[in-house]
Amino acid sequence: MNDHSFLISKTLTITYPFVLLFGLYIVLNGHVTPGGGFQGGAIIASVLILKYLIDPSLETPLKKIRTLEKITLFFIFLFPLGFLLTFIHLQLPTFNLYYLILMNLLISIKVACGLSIIFIRFVFYETR
Amino acid sequence: MLKLSLIVLVILAIMTVQTQKMRHAVVYLGAFSLTISFIYLLYNAPDVAIAEAIIGSTLSTILYLVALQKYKIFTVYYCLSEAEFEDQSHLTAEHLQFKKLLDKYCAKQELEPQIIYTVDATKTIIEHHPYALIVQNEPTNIKIWGHPENYKMDSLISFFDRELHFKVPIEFIQVEEVIE
Repeated sequence: MNDHSFLISKTLTITYPFVLLFGLYIVLNGHVTPGGGFQGGAIIASVLILKYLIDPSLETPLKKIRTLEKITLFFIFLFPLGFLLTFIHLQLPTFNLYYLILMNLLISIKVACGLSIIFIRFVFYETR
Repeated sequence: MLKLSLIVLVILAIMTVQTQKMRHAVVYLGAFSLTISFIYLLYNAPDVAIAEAIIGSTLSTILYLVALQKYKIFTVYYCLSEAEFEDQSHLTAEHLQFKKLLDKYCAKQELEPQIIYTVDATKTIIEHHPYALIVQNEPTNIKIWGHPENYKMDSLISFFDRELHFKVPIEFIQVEEVIE
């Protein structure tokens, strides 16, 4: 894939904002339509892989992605605890919706970071 | 519709196992994933269908292709003289037989041979191009240079030792690694 063709890279540059938009749509509509955090996150991770196909020599900030993943993992543990212990869903029933969207977003970020870390490590660091 | 897709699924699975080339197997596996995600959709599981379509046919296909490119591409340079490059009929029967044997070896070891014909001297290829093997045909024998990281060299030598009916003497040269 190092000899990436001009045609593929041009087509992917046009397509990949739409793929990103589709992933965001799946994440944000996860509570009403099929989909959710995991599927949307995987689509967003595939955008990062498309970026590799466009330009393999692109530098990716692996360390930043890793810290972002850890911070989101912390929040994924924190929010359900806060949600359950404060009993806010009994006082404000509309809060359920925001909670679902927020959790979907966090999970999508976590999944996207995890999958792209797997991919980046595999492509750039694993050798014979 | 469901039964048709299930039959297609079985056919694709058999094709994946039975193909000779790894690359074709990867492509069949991607098609298999797409079909099975369609079947999940028919079973009213759109969630699983989305996950299968993304992971099966995008992420794992690209990962497999990158892995193939990393490990299995076996770049063979054939050094030819100008006359041979112009018209391949100059090659003798032994040399053609050698090429066939090399193809057989690659199929056995599940390598993807990438064969490049060149008129460059071997020295420039060693210095400037990524290669696994460099083959040079000479009137009496065949010279093979192996890359220092080419971990298949020993098995290649033993393979040609076992091919007794192939009479042309082959000279193997392991290129020393240049330490910078």
